[in-house]
Amino acid sequence: MIAAQPYLEVTVAGLAAGAVFGLLALGLVLIYRTTGVLNFGHWAIGLMGITVYTLVTGVGVPVLIAVVISIATSMVVGVLAYRFVFRWVPRTKQIIVILISFGVAQLFSSLAQLALGFKNLVTMPGWLPAFNLHVGGATLQSRDIITFLIAIGLGLGFLVWFRSSRTGRALRAVAQNREAAMLAGIDDVRYSSIAWAIGAALAAIAILLQLANRAAQGSSYQGFINTFDLTPLGTILVPAFGAALVGGLVNMPAALAGGFVFGLAQNLMVLAPKPWSNLTDTIAAGIIVILLLARLERFFTTQQEREALEGA
Amino acid sequence: MKAEPIAPVLETEPVEAPPRLETPRVTPPLDWGLPISRAQLLALAGLALIALIPIPFGSFGFYVGAYALVYAIIGLSVTVVTGYAGLISLMPYSFAGVGTVVTAMAMSSWGWPFWLCIPLAALATLPISILVGAISVRLKGLYLAIATLTIAAMLGETFFSWSAVTNGDTGWTISRPVPFAGDGAFYVLCLAVALFLVWMIEGLRTSRLGRAMLAVRDNEREAQALGVNVMQTKLAAFVISGMMAGVGGAFLAVLLQSVVAAPVFQSPLTDATSILLITLVVIGGVDRAWGAFFGAIVFVVTQQVLQGAQFFFAFVGIYSALLLIVFMLFRPGGLLQIGKLQLDLIKERPVLGSAVVAGILAVNVGVAYLFVRLG
Repeated sequence: MIAAQPYLEVTVAGLAAGAVFGLLALGLVLIYRTTGVLNFGHWAIGLMGITVYTLVTGVGVPVLIAVVISIATSMVVGVLAYRFVFRWVPRTKQIIVILISFGVAQLFSSLAQLALGFKNLVTMPGWLPAFNLHVGGATLQSRDIITFLIAIGLGLGFLVWFRSSRTGRALRAVAQNREAAMLAGIDDVRYSSIAWAIGAALAAIAILLQLANRAAQGSSYQGFINTFDLTPLGTILVPAFGAALVGGLVNMPAALAGGFVFGLAQNLMVLAPKPWSNLTDTIAAGIIVILLLARLERFFTTQQEREALEGA
Repeated sequence: MKAEPIAPVLETEPVEAPPRLETPRVTPPLDWGLPISRAQLLALAGLALIALIPIPFGSFGFYVGAYALVYAIIGLSVTVVTGYAGLISLMPYSFAGVGTVVTAMAMSSWGWPFWLCIPLAALATLPISILVGAISVRLKGLYLAIATLTIAAMLGETFFSWSAVTNGDTGWTISRPVPFAGDGAFYVLCLAVALFLVWMIEGLRTSRLGRAMLAVRDNEREAQALGVNVMQTKLAAFVISGMMAGVGGAFLAVLLQSVVAAPVFQSPLTDATSILLITLVVIGGVDRAWGAFFGAIVFVVTQQVLQGAQFFFAFVGIYSALLLIVFMLFRPGGLLQIGKLQLDLIKERPVLGSAVVAGILAVNVGVAYLFVRLG
């Protein structure tokens, strides 16, 4: 008989990770739908936020104020990236757009390395209260539960706002048909900038939730980044893309829900026997390839949207 | 009935110059009866001049030159799959990595000679290239891009973390094959191999298979209607591309001489070498084999020279990112586009055009020399 406690623990951790992936996926989908850029450098915009968070907390600013500052920084960086680069990218050649998005990511990660001083390991204080909850023999970490609640609340709130508010409807109009939206008097550049700002803010929150609170509890410093090796940030994007793909890169509720598929799958892998438990990216990649081959996106997208994605 | 690709070979870059009325330019053979036109002779002379650039820099020059040529070989895999067949694959460096690791393992652990490892490295990429090729039949555009990216991440966690193959953190130490052990000799070997492969890939373009690839790239349904077997063509593109990258990987192994897989091939998203490869091919010109060659030379030499300079180290990443963004925004046609502009200038005003080209080359070589001396 297998004990139930480890399953409860990894399920909670998986839900937290899944909500974070869902937030990243929401940003990816929002930016893709409104401006046609599949942003492979999404993590780097969040990285700018956490870099500022590290610098600001390093000089003694309280953590919650630092969180606000870092989200604002990411939003500014996202808008600048749109205004100065992605606005001018021709939409016809996908390979050029992909390369530019990677170039922007490299620019931001180089800036972050420079700002953080090329150290191997940068530590930062966590900003969520850390304590353990004991539920029926299982030890649940408060940060997982809070992360899940914040992320799911933000995600659902964003969806409601996107459906019903005036700005949200304008964004949807731009996403649906850019030219018709412009004819109806919607400022294309202004609303694309808003989309980038929101996507960047979601990325910053997701990465702050994930990275600043992940180390062992009890120490005053709870988060860390390897600046020379930004792998953890990069690999966060694999499941985030997977989550976005669940909705065919255009459907937002499906993208938010898709995050949980990957969060749960990756965390349940931890319970597998030793050589297999390390393969978290592999399971994500396997799910993505199966999703793509099964053409799950056809339930959430229209023919027109799919053709835009497939055209070379 | 055999499929007969009758699609016309289309140039991708629409000619932007206004149509000029002129007689077709037929260059007569030279007086001394060589089977070669004057333009070809000029191109050969230019190539020889470029090939001589490393000499004043000594051992470092040969090393950087060999590095650039190895990247040109790997870059040819991008030319085939993205330039010819129009499929976006974000994992060229993973294919090369398979070749590198397999070569290193076979040479140090099994004692194989290098020459046997080249076909081995090419064959080792087959399982993955066939898998990706089969996936590419069903997935197109951005979907394929994401799929290849995740498969690269998967390989980083499985194959490149497999200590039986990679020898863990120690890695493998190998030596170059005997007559080419020196930096200069190895540079000459790489030059010969790279030129041979460029010639082969350039020939592939006009072959039956190459024309089928171009037809699939331009319009898949049309190509199918014309009798091109789309599935076979895409598979062939990935297999050829994988083999090319595998061969390049084998040369990369003996160039580096010490192969540690873990930091090099495990993080395809952030390590960015796959992206660097695609970038240099696109900057060179994605639909001609020469694009990969010149793109690799310009990009790798710039990168190596800048990285070597101490005072510039902190800014290399920012500089190359800005270079990539600016280049892609303003000259998406790449070096071939710039070269075409220069050639037009030379045709219009021979003295001024040649002087401009020579000046640009001299300034670049001079700056590189300064960086090497200072750094």
